[in-house]
Amino acid sequence: MADPAAPAAEFSADQVEDFKEAFGLFDRVGDSQVAFSQVADIMRALGQNPTNKEVRAILGSPSDDDMANKRINFESFLPMLKVVDTAPKGTYDDYVEGLRVFDKEGNGTVMGAELRIVLSTLGEKMSEQEIDALMQGQEDENGSVHYEAFVKHIMSI
Amino acid sequence: MGCGVSKSNLFQKSDSKAVTSIKAAVLIQHWYRQYVARMELKRRYTWHIFQSLEYSGEQAQIKLYNFLGYLMDNFTPSSNERNLISHFFRENEVCRDSEWERFFDYKNIDVPEIYSGPHLTFPLTLEQGSGLVDAFRNKRQLHSRYVLQLLLDTWRLLRKFPNISRVSTCQSKEITICGDLHGQLEDLLLIFYKNGMPSHERPYVFNGDFVDRGDNSIEVLLILFSFLLLYPNDVHLNRGNHEDHIVNLRYGFTKEVLTKYKMHGKRILKLLQKIFSWLPLATVIDQKVLVLHGGISDTTDLSVLARVDRHKYVSALRPPKKRHPSTANVSVDYEEEVWSSGRRRSSVALPRPLTRGTFQNTSLPDFSDRVRPPVGGAAERRGRLALQGALLGGSQQALGAAAGTGPSQDSGESSDHSEDEWKQILDLLWSDPMTQDGCVPNEVRGGGCYWGPDVTDDFLSRHNMTLIIRSHECKQEGYEFCHNRKVLTLFSASNYYDVASNRGAYVKLGPDLVPYLIQYQASSKTRELTVRQRVGQTEHSALRVLRKQLFSHKSDLISAFQDLDKENTGLVSLKDWAEAVEGVMHLGLPWRMLRSQLISRRASDGAVDYRQWFTELAIQEPNMEHIEKGLLEMLYRHRSTLETIFRIVDTDNSGVINMEDFRQTWKLLSIYLKMEFTEEAISDLAVAIDTNGDGCIDIQEFMEAFRLSDKKSRLERGRSMFMGTAHDLQRPETVDPDL
Repeated sequence: MADPAAPAAEFSADQVEDFKEAFGLFDRVGDSQVAFSQVADIMRALGQNPTNKEVRAILGSPSDDDMANKRINFESFLPMLKVVDTAPKGTYDDYVEGLRVFDKEGNGTVMGAELRIVLSTLGEKMSEQEIDALMQGQEDENGSVHYEAFVKHIMSI
Repeated sequence: MGCGVSKSNLFQKSDSKAVTSIKAAVLIQHWYRQYVARMELKRRYTWHIFQSLEYSGEQAQIKLYNFLGYLMDNFTPSSNERNLISHFFRENEVCRDSEWERFFDYKNIDVPEIYSGPHLTFPLTLEQGSGLVDAFRNKRQLHSRYVLQLLLDTWRLLRKFPNISRVSTCQSKEITICGDLHGQLEDLLLIFYKNGMPSHERPYVFNGDFVDRGDNSIEVLLILFSFLLLYPNDVHLNRGNHEDHIVNLRYGFTKEVLTKYKMHGKRILKLLQKIFSWLPLATVIDQKVLVLHGGISDTTDLSVLARVDRHKYVSALRPPKKRHPSTANVSVDYEEEVWSSGRRRSSVALPRPLTRGTFQNTSLPDFSDRVRPPVGGAAERRGRLALQGALLGGSQQALGAAAGTGPSQDSGESSDHSEDEWKQILDLLWSDPMTQDGCVPNEVRGGGCYWGPDVTDDFLSRHNMTLIIRSHECKQEGYEFCHNRKVLTLFSASNYYDVASNRGAYVKLGPDLVPYLIQYQASSKTRELTVRQRVGQTEHSALRVLRKQLFSHKSDLISAFQDLDKENTGLVSLKDWAEAVEGVMHLGLPWRMLRSQLISRRASDGAVDYRQWFTELAIQEPNMEHIEKGLLEMLYRHRSTLETIFRIVDTDNSGVINMEDFRQTWKLLSIYLKMEFTEEAISDLAVAIDTNGDGCIDIQEFMEAFRLSDKKSRLERGRSMFMGTAHDLQRPETVDPDL
């Protein structure tokens, strides 16, 4: 079983073509480039999980102005994608395990309210809007989330 | 639980609870943000699919129009083909406006006692105006007598208005501006509900595209016109590119009127043609804010636009009629002049055979190079066909022919003027903004320009204005600013591409001229869906439509694949597949990204078995085994064009054409599409459709007979889908109950 911590091999030609297409979808100007501010989202859309801080560092710590106005082409973007590719990816069991931490009664559910607090105060804090969208339709009448079903649901995209 | 093989070592037993909590939180957060990014990606390409299909439909319409123009130029007046369509290009009758009034007389139309709709008396009262809104909300239909009366009064009123309406926000009045409505009555009612109906205290500007695509175009129009009559100084209507009878032929308005008003529909349509040509072109608020439907170009000049005889432009897609100088109020078709002065074109029974190589897109010939010599260096923007100067090209040649005939000596000069004016109007109705500087022809739509921020800046400073409000493009949030917030796109038809595809919006402007935007979304269904469900549903529809499009290009696709599959293995690499598909479809879509939705089986190395692929895409063919397959595919692919041509041929708008005209139509099509139809094949078709054997083909029946269904979704739902005009394509009849 491959050690998930080891860096991935080079991207295949097919993968590069896929990335290029996705990249193109985010180009709203038509100059085959995307704005700095879009880079993090594109990376996530392509399956990576960089933090916004990490992305900013990779871009060379641009100013807020640069983030809004500067653009980058695909050739410069691709190596950056490589760099963030080394972050370990979670599996179904990882997510379930992660949520089980909050399962106080060990009955397969977590309190929606507790989850909200955790997500908004720990790690890379989520906004109230983000949390609402995430939790939409997931809490039952008691305000509990059945997390295995939850994870299955979110991973099915 | 805890299968060692599938779990990574993220959570160590030695971690403290706090650390584990944080790791867990981060995991979820990472996952969620990734999920949002992927949803955004999906949303983008789904949007892209609908928009490409919409614009390529518009492009097809213009190509069709060019084709008809080409025919007009190359056939003798005696030939059958020309007669078939010549009425379409002629405003035939030489009439004074007073004669027209007689033609539209409503007084002999009786309203039967059983009629349950609203009764109107003129001049309209406020009660009747809001009564009309209520009646339409309750799905009543207004009787044709009242329709004609209302339209006549509207026509008389519009003739008094200048080309550019000037409005002010004095008396602390806020003006409400609405964008495209496209026959979506629900949205108009929602706007009135949220914002109140028009009145002295509540002025409105409606920025064009009131009709086509939606099911209640005539109702929307009647409401707008009745408020116009009630408050002529407080309700302002701008013309849109869909206020045009040629566009209406394809996009559903003509059909709607003829269906709802079987007896008098033709007259109503004729009157509407005149009304549309009299709609003002733009509105200026406080001399600072310009409101118009499409946009501007680098040559747009409001002083020119203020001076044109706007009603000469019955359709923005046609070159203007030449005025015979001696008869002031009378319109004479310039073509009549040409023929009557004895100048005839070299007569050809049929044009010489057109080879594949002549056209860039083999499925839809582009006749722009036939109507004038091709412009050098036509750029292919975003991989789409260049129709540079297509419409201008057509007019140049036509006007060139008229100039130099006897009657008017200065025809040369006035034809230049006309052409410049025509371009101004075309740009105004059809242009779109772009992010790069400059101004280039809008070949995606086939008319108008793409204009850049520098053109906006220049225009605004020349005219001493601060903001342009336009519509014409669907936006997900109902509105979008661009060009450094100097251009605002406003779109008021929510759920335009599909249920939950987008919101609608309207804007309010007070004396401070700061736009205040209000969004909404009609239909309670959408509010119950989660974001994921909404995106999923729209994606589902988009892909369904796309699969059908792909299937209808089967022959072209197969030959493109075969070109790449030299060793005839039946397989192509993913890269080749994507290239070939784009090469045939010309939609500029991210095919690789869509592959998992479009192809279900692939070899381990990612290669695509293309023949197998078509079995998957699979459409259940209609029960016409005796009809040749190539013909069926062609029919299916060009059903919108077919229907449009039928409606043109149907001169009296009766919905029925006779066998002879039916045959002639196929002859026309065989030229247009470079396909040979044997007499036999056509007879087979005719017989199949003419079920009552009376020698007449009902257009509607014909289109329904070629109803094709998507095998995949049929299996899912056990129902077949009606494939009609582009209008029907974008608005599935029923919502899939599984979703």
